[in-house]
This record gives sequence, structure tokens and C-alpha cells, in this order.
Amino acid sequence: MSGLILAALITGLTAGGISCFAVQGGLITGSIARRLEVATPVPAPARKQVKSKAARHQKQQALPQSDAAAVSHTGLAQSIGLFMVAKLAAYTLLGFFLGWLGSVVSISMTAKGILQILVGIFLVGNALRMFNVHPIFRYFNFEPPQAVTRFIRRLSKNGDGNVITPLYLGALTVLIPCGVTQSVMAVAIGTGSPLTGAAIMAAFVIGTSPAFFGVTMLAASLGRMFQKWFYPAAAVVVLLLGLYTMDTGLNVVGSPFSVTKIVQSFQPAAPEAQPLQAGAPAQPTSVTIEVGAYGYTPNQVTLAADQEVELHMVVSEAWTCARSFYIPSLNLGQLLPPEGETVFTIPPQPAGTQIPFTCSMGMYTGVLNFQ
Amino acid sequence: MAQQKVFHIPSMHCSGCVMTLEGIEDDLPGILKIRGSYQKASLAVEWDETRLSEGKIIAAIRQLGYEVADR
Repeated sequence: MSGLILAALITGLTAGGISCFAVQGGLITGSIARRLEVATPVPAPARKQVKSKAARHQKQQALPQSDAAAVSHTGLAQSIGLFMVAKLAAYTLLGFFLGWLGSVVSISMTAKGILQILVGIFLVGNALRMFNVHPIFRYFNFEPPQAVTRFIRRLSKNGDGNVITPLYLGALTVLIPCGVTQSVMAVAIGTGSPLTGAAIMAAFVIGTSPAFFGVTMLAASLGRMFQKWFYPAAAVVVLLLGLYTMDTGLNVVGSPFSVTKIVQSFQPAAPEAQPLQAGAPAQPTSVTIEVGAYGYTPNQVTLAADQEVELHMVVSEAWTCARSFYIPSLNLGQLLPPEGETVFTIPPQPAGTQIPFTCSMGMYTGVLNFQ
Repeated sequence: MAQQKVFHIPSMHCSGCVMTLEGIEDDLPGILKIRGSYQKASLAVEWDETRLSEGKIIAAIRQLGYEVADR
């Protein structure tokens, strides 16, 4: 699971910050612009007198130009900071809920794998939307209800730039997630774990912070250049994440057509995975596989055909999803204990059979060969 | 008297653009209804023609950095 959390952080650092800014950046900059309007009103022409009480009060409250510049940078940084803190809290709670939702809806590993494939397709579609390949891909983006966007937009415009407005806006961004955020939300549901879901969304938002902060501060000067250069770069990251998620989904359902499986098929077979020669010793009926943080060792195993065999799974320092061991074609697996050995008994398999095994997220894989 | 039209805005690039464009209802008195669609790249507007003209609406859209295209 920590691999997914790291992936969410990287997605936020690369694609998420820029994509989030595209949808939500205007809220916070609009709120700051309003604050600057109040702080630095345009001076009236000399011959006109300020007659209205409100105008006289505004003139008294106005800052000198030098202080206004300080307000702009300090105020912008403070408001963005408050905005991001509230956004982090809100999305962490959302991730907790999404993970809980995924756990409540009890689904098989096959259904979970299919869900991952669908999430991957959604990500790829989103990337193609960002590349502007064809208008049909615009449907890979959910639009929030108009009442929600109207409320948030008016709050942004009418807020006076105090502490509460950025906090409120940041929390409300859960209602207007950008395309990349929607993709990560789908991944959070797929974990089926409230804590993992919360961690994934928190990691993603933390990842978006540097880009969101930096791009917001530079928004005025970036302008069109931002759209021309950064958006396609973000689309590439989303595309790669989508292809990777589809591939892991294919591993979970035990498909031989995942990129992982195809690459493994080109790798030289382990010496013991050769067809039996006459007089050669029989294949083993038992094998020990070490479960580490980065997968299974060995991950290509040859066992005796036509008889019951044993897999001895030995866990050491496995803090990733590798502990969640699964054999799709046999619907066999479990969450292995943090330390120690767990034994699985595999029913007899004909010679020539290849049985893939994987972690529950399809990230770490291997294959059992029967000879 | 109410007038309505669907403006085609192909330069929308995400749902954030819809939120931005619908914001012209806050700046232009006379808009009765407004509904943007990122999927259809359109902005449907109904306005009181005694208070607002189509030209002003198009000008407001352009001021936000978007172009109105002919369908």
C-alpha cells in the first residue's frame, strides 16, 4: 500500500498541482485580488472631493503604495497557506470516507482488479482530454453541480481576504475536484481501506502543494505560457499513471496480457524451469518465497506437476502491499502476518501450467511453473 | 423580453473554465439564466434584452480570455 501512497505523492508533485491550479487557483487569487482592491483603491482625481461616507472610510483605510506591495506578497502567501491547510484536512477526510466506501462494498479480487482497470481507463481518458485529442474525451471529467460552483465562486469574490475565507475555500475544494484529483479519488476507493484512502489523498494534496503554491504566486506572469507548456507535461504524467494502473489491474485479474507478464515472458527462464530431461531429478514439491518490501524472491518458481505442492511464504520487512499475497486463478491468498511463515497448498496442476501470483494491488508479481 | 442563445466556446480546457464563464452572471445585470458545459464546450445564456445585449455578453466572454466561435 505504501507504493500507492508514494505514487499519489508523485502524481501530486507532477500532474496534480498544475491541474488543481487550473480549476481551483482562480478561487484563491480572486479572493486575494479583492483584498488588494480594498487595501489600494485608485486615487480620485484632485478636483473631485470624496463625499460619501463609505468612500471617505475607504480612503482612510488605504495603505501607502509600498505597504500595498508588501500586503500583496505576504497576504498571498498567507492566504495560499491557509487554503492548502484546509484543503489537506478536507481531502484527508474525504480519502478516509472513500476508503471506507470501498471496504463496505464487499467485492471479489476479480471485481477489484476490474475496478483498477476501469480507473486506469479513466486516467488515460483524462490524459487524452488534457492533450485535447478529441472532444469525446471531455466526458472523462465530472462537472460539479452548478449550485456548488456558484456558491464557491461568489464566496471567493465577496470574501474580504481574511483568515476565514481561504480556510473555507480550501475546504470547499472537495466539491470541485480537478480531473487528476478525481482519478486519485477512484484509486482511494479501490484500496478498500479508510486509513489507506486517507493517506493516499493526503499524500496527493501534499504533493500538489509546491506546484500549486508556486504557480499561484506566478499566475499573473505565467498566463498563456502555463497553458502551453505545463498542461501537456501534466497530461503525460496522468497518461503514464493510467497505463500503470490498468497494468496492475490486469495483474490482479490474472490476465496474461499485462505489460508485466509480457515482459516476464521475454526474460530468460530460471535454470530450474526447463523441461524435464530423462533421468533428471524431479521438480520440487515445496518452495520458499521471501516476501520483501519490493516484491517476491524468487518470482519465477518451478514446481512438480501432477501433485500437491507447498508454497512457504516468509515475510521479512515487508511494509508494502507485497504482504497481501494472491493467486488469481486459484482465488487463493491472504494478508500475510508482518513476520514469519505462511504455507499455501496448491492442488495438482498439469505439466506446462503457468500460474501467476501477485500482491492485491497487482504491483508485485511472479509466476509458478509446473513441470 | 427574454432572449437566449448558446455560445460555442471551444477554448474551454477544463471544468474550471465553466465556473469562470458562469461568473459573468455576477458582473452583467440582466442575465436571467446561465449554464456552461465543458463537455459540449458551450455557454447557454438567457438575458433580458432591455438591459443587456448579445454584444456585451460576447465582450465579457472575451475579457475572460475566451473566444466565441460560430457553430
